[in-house]
Amino acid sequence: MEIPNSGVRDEARRHAEEEAVAALVIQYAATLYRVAFSILRNPSDAEDAVQEAFVRVLRHRETLDEVRDNRVWLIRIVWNIALDRKRRAKSRPETDDVAELARVLPSGGLSAEQIASAAQHHASVLACVEQLPAKEREVLMLSAFEELNSVEIASVLGISESSVRSRLFRARNLMAGLLDYARSLR
Amino acid sequence: MNESTQNPFASNSGYGEAPGFEETLRLIANLPAPQGLEERVQAGLLAQPRKGRILAWPAALKPDSNWMRSAAAAAIVFVVAGGGWGVYSHVRPPQSAGAMAMPAHAAEPGGFASAGAMRTPQALKGPVLAQPAAVKPAASSAKKALRRGKAARAGKTELAATTVK
Repeated sequence: MEIPNSGVRDEARRHAEEEAVAALVIQYAATLYRVAFSILRNPSDAEDAVQEAFVRVLRHRETLDEVRDNRVWLIRIVWNIALDRKRRAKSRPETDDVAELARVLPSGGLSAEQIASAAQHHASVLACVEQLPAKEREVLMLSAFEELNSVEIASVLGISESSVRSRLFRARNLMAGLLDYARSLR
Repeated sequence: MNESTQNPFASNSGYGEAPGFEETLRLIANLPAPQGLEERVQAGLLAQPRKGRILAWPAALKPDSNWMRSAAAAAIVFVVAGGGWGVYSHVRPPQSAGAMAMPAHAAEPGGFASAGAMRTPQALKGPVLAQPAAVKPAASSAKKALRRGKAARAGKTELAATTVK
């Protein structure tokens, strides 16, 4: 009979697609979390962004076969979600204060005073990053991920590789200037 | 990996030693994911509502079935051909050049009716032949000559010529 056969086929296909999404979760959830955290700087917000990214993948699971590079595709999805969330939550105070950074960032073998000093430094660096123009800031933040090369960064941002390099150059110069200025104020 | 496409942030990519701010960004980029992240994400995905349909297509009428595609293609061809035939059958042959169609008088909405009166253009007048002057008999011309002679003698030639007329 036609109807039960096609129903079984649909069910099997859906099951296979869900298995593929589950495999992507295991493989890339940690990477996506780090990408989301680099923008949102809040553990629960970053986890929510990862969740939302995989929900979107599940909704469009039929197109999984057409994706050439799952990793870059997923990073692009979570990157856009995190940017969107950050834009929407602009009024909410970020949790990148010194105490939060001291708690989140690794501090192997450091004394309490050194940890506090390092957290202070990280906070001032992140404050300078926030002052960068959006294009330069995005390239700078993505460049920190060692698993992404410049072609992949360009693919995530939808720009050319030469643009990535020029924006990164400008970002580094701007950051050096901003940090010098911050140091001179102290 | 190709050398030119390496991450420009990486310390071995020829960009020199990373400055202090890059260390901070790298620390954030390398943060370990929280424990049980994958399980929580999986659980969240399972909790998502399934894509349900209230009215499903019958299996025989599914849009991806082959015969349905053929039927749809045939319907499109039928509609296009029918439309073309409809246009062709309603097109009138052009009128011959010798006959001029009189434009139909359309009744003007809200205006005064012409009561069927038709305006006829005023025809042009043809050329009018000039009437030739009447020819008088020869006897009269002899009398005229005599009179002219008398007038010349009297010195009133011009005046006489006008009076003859």
